[in-house]
Amino acid sequence: MSARLAVLVFPGTNSEEETLRLARDVGIDAHIVHWSRAQTLGAYDAYVLPGGFAHEDRIRAGAVAAHDAMMDAVIDGAQRGKLVLGICNGAQIALEAGLVPGTGPVRKPTAAFTRNGPVPKFVCKHVYVKLAIEPKRCAITAGLPQDALIPAWAAHGEGRLAASDEHLREITAGGHLAFVYAHADGTVDASATPNGSAMGCAGLVNAAGNVLAIMPHPERDAWNFNHLDRREDGDVLAPSGGAALFRSFAEALR
Amino acid sequence: MSRRTIAIGLKIPDNEAYTALTALRRLGVEVARLERAVIWQFEDAGDERDFVARVERNETLFNQNKHELQVLEAGEPRSGETWIEELGAHDNVRGHLGGKGIAGITRARRFVAWRLFATHGEPAGAATVNDAVTKLLCNPAIERARIG
Repeated sequence: MSARLAVLVFPGTNSEEETLRLARDVGIDAHIVHWSRAQTLGAYDAYVLPGGFAHEDRIRAGAVAAHDAMMDAVIDGAQRGKLVLGICNGAQIALEAGLVPGTGPVRKPTAAFTRNGPVPKFVCKHVYVKLAIEPKRCAITAGLPQDALIPAWAAHGEGRLAASDEHLREITAGGHLAFVYAHADGTVDASATPNGSAMGCAGLVNAAGNVLAIMPHPERDAWNFNHLDRREDGDVLAPSGGAALFRSFAEALR
Repeated sequence: MSRRTIAIGLKIPDNEAYTALTALRRLGVEVARLERAVIWQFEDAGDERDFVARVERNETLFNQNKHELQVLEAGEPRSGETWIEELGAHDNVRGHLGGKGIAGITRARRFVAWRLFATHGEPAGAATVNDAVTKLLCNPAIERARIG
C-alpha cells in the first residue's frame, strides 16, 4: 500500500487545493484533512501544512495553529520520523510548534518567520530558492540535485527569519538552513532576499531531516501557466520547476 | 517633550481576544475573561489638551466606528496585564502608521496588551499571566513581554 499524505486544513488555510493537486500530480496518495477530522491524522504517513492564514494569524502567524489539536498528531508523527512539509503559513506554524529548527523543546519556539523587513510590507514576488544543504540531509530534498534551484512565489507579510544571535548560530552549526533565496542564475546575495530574512533563509530543516519548512510556495510554480518566464507557445499545463520539490517528496514516500 | 501612553481597544466584539481566550483555556491557563488592546507610547511635543484629538484624526490608528481610546496614567502594564513588544521594533511614527504622521508626535512604540481576569472579575495573578505569556502570548525569539 502506498504512503498516504494528509494536507491539513486549519480555519483560514487557503492553499490546500493547489498543494493537493501537485502532490497527486507527482504520484502521492494525498488527501485533504480538515480540522474537524484531527483524530484521523494518526493514520497518515506524512503531512503538509499548506499556506494561508490559519486561525487568521491571530496573536502571531502560526501561534494558535501550533497548539491546534491537528498539530498534536503532526508533532507526534514528526517525533516518530514521519515526513512533514510546511509551506508559507505552514512553515510559520512549524516554527511556532518548535518542529524546526527544532533546537528547543516542542512548542517552545527558538525562531520565527516574522514581519518582513526592512520595510514591513507584504511581499508578492516570483523568487528562486537554492538548496543550501546536502540533498540527503533532508528526506524531502533527497531526490534533488546538489545546489538545486527551485522557482516559487513568495507571498507573505511575515517571512523574515528572526532569532537571537545564539539561536542563529545553532541554525548554522546544526545545518538547519535548508534553502536560501537566490537569483535565477543561482547566485546568492542579499539582493535576492525579498524580506530581510536572516542569512537569506527561505527554508529550515530539523536535525533529524524529516521536517522541512519553506516560506515561498513551490506549488504555485508547479505548472508552466504559473511560471513567470513561461513560453507563451509552450504547453501551459506542463510541469514547472516548483514541482521538483514535490517529486523529491514523492520519492521519499515510496 | 512628554511621554504619553494610550490604549486602543475594540468596542465591537474582539474576535482575536476570544481566540486567544479559548486557546489559553485549551492550554490549561485558568482565565475567565481576556481583553486585548494596542498600546502606543508616544513622545509628544504638542499640547496635551488636544492630544487625543490629534491621535484620533489618524485613521490608520483609530477608527471611531470600532475603536475606543483610553489615556493611561502609567506607562507600565496594569495588574493582570502583559505588554508584548516585537524585539528590534523601530520607533518611527510614519513607519508604524503607513506613512501618516501625527502632529507633534516624534516617536512611537507599539505593544499588544493582553489583560487577563479571573473568575470573579478580578485581574489574574502574575503567575497566571506568566503562564499565558510562556505558553502562547509571547514568542521569546522575536518578542519581549512586560508583566504587570
